[in-house]
Amino acid sequence: MSSFSRSAQQWATFARSWLLIDARLQPPGKIATMCAVRLQGKHKPIYHPLSDIGDHVVVMNTRHIAFSGNKWEQKVYSSHTGYPGGFKQLTAAQMHKKDPTAIIKLAVYGMLPKNLTRRTMMQRLHIFPDDVIPEDILKNLTEELPQPRKIPRKLSEYTQEERDAFPLLWNP
Amino acid sequence: MCKMLLIGVLCLFVQHFRGRKNRCYSLAVRAVRRAFVYASKARKAKRRNMRTLWISRIAAATREHGMKYPALVHNLLKCSVQLNRRVLCDLSITEPRSFHALTALARARQQEGLRAALGDGTEPPGVFSRITQLQ
Repeated sequence: MSSFSRSAQQWATFARSWLLIDARLQPPGKIATMCAVRLQGKHKPIYHPLSDIGDHVVVMNTRHIAFSGNKWEQKVYSSHTGYPGGFKQLTAAQMHKKDPTAIIKLAVYGMLPKNLTRRTMMQRLHIFPDDVIPEDILKNLTEELPQPRKIPRKLSEYTQEERDAFPLLWNP
Repeated sequence: MCKMLLIGVLCLFVQHFRGRKNRCYSLAVRAVRRAFVYASKARKAKRRNMRTLWISRIAAATREHGMKYPALVHNLLKCSVQLNRRVLCDLSITEPRSFHALTALARARQQEGLRAALGDGTEPPGVFSRITQLQ
């Protein structure tokens, strides 16, 4: 390309960083999109599908994920073992009980591009059900990403003065 | 003699093919024709692919600065900044400060309506907001 300039390269342009996401009380789909974007390297201006510039992503507290609506009972994960009569259907709640990391893993797997690099990207995704993370991964972490959803306060967390100061719309 | 020249020319194109296509004349002729067809189609597709690559790179860089790609492009157009996607992509990689300045300009243009409605009528700081006429 004729517009290649010979400016100096920034320090560690092609480094692979380790990012941390806390999934406590977050919607798993939003967590999965953030993971997928960073695993592919689409958050970097030097992106190219062939250059393998994705980062490692560590997701913790996936046991405390929060689906909106009635998805815990209504969302169905289907699979077939290949044998006759082997069609299995699990609701999100059953799947989560069996394996707390499976929901995020399946969500990210579906959001990555369907090519041969998908498996390597999934190997760079590390999911932990609680905030117990092994030492060697903890030492590698560089950045924590902000959570996509603002966690609303519980009624018990409001003080009595705030509750009184809240505007009253109608008298029951 | 002419046939030998043609075969020689064919051999130049066929060196890296797999199997008998790189040795046997009839197979090589067919393979080279297919290769030329793919090359012609790819020259058209290259322009499309390069543009999508530029767009994804610019989108990544604008998201680093807290904006989205459609907002950037629309507001730069409104400011009559006629930089194309190729140049914007190169700026985002090699000139990060200039690209930050462009995102600031686009953000100021985006918030112009809000600033006019809610603000105090002053111009946004650090942004060229009037096109100066050369005398």
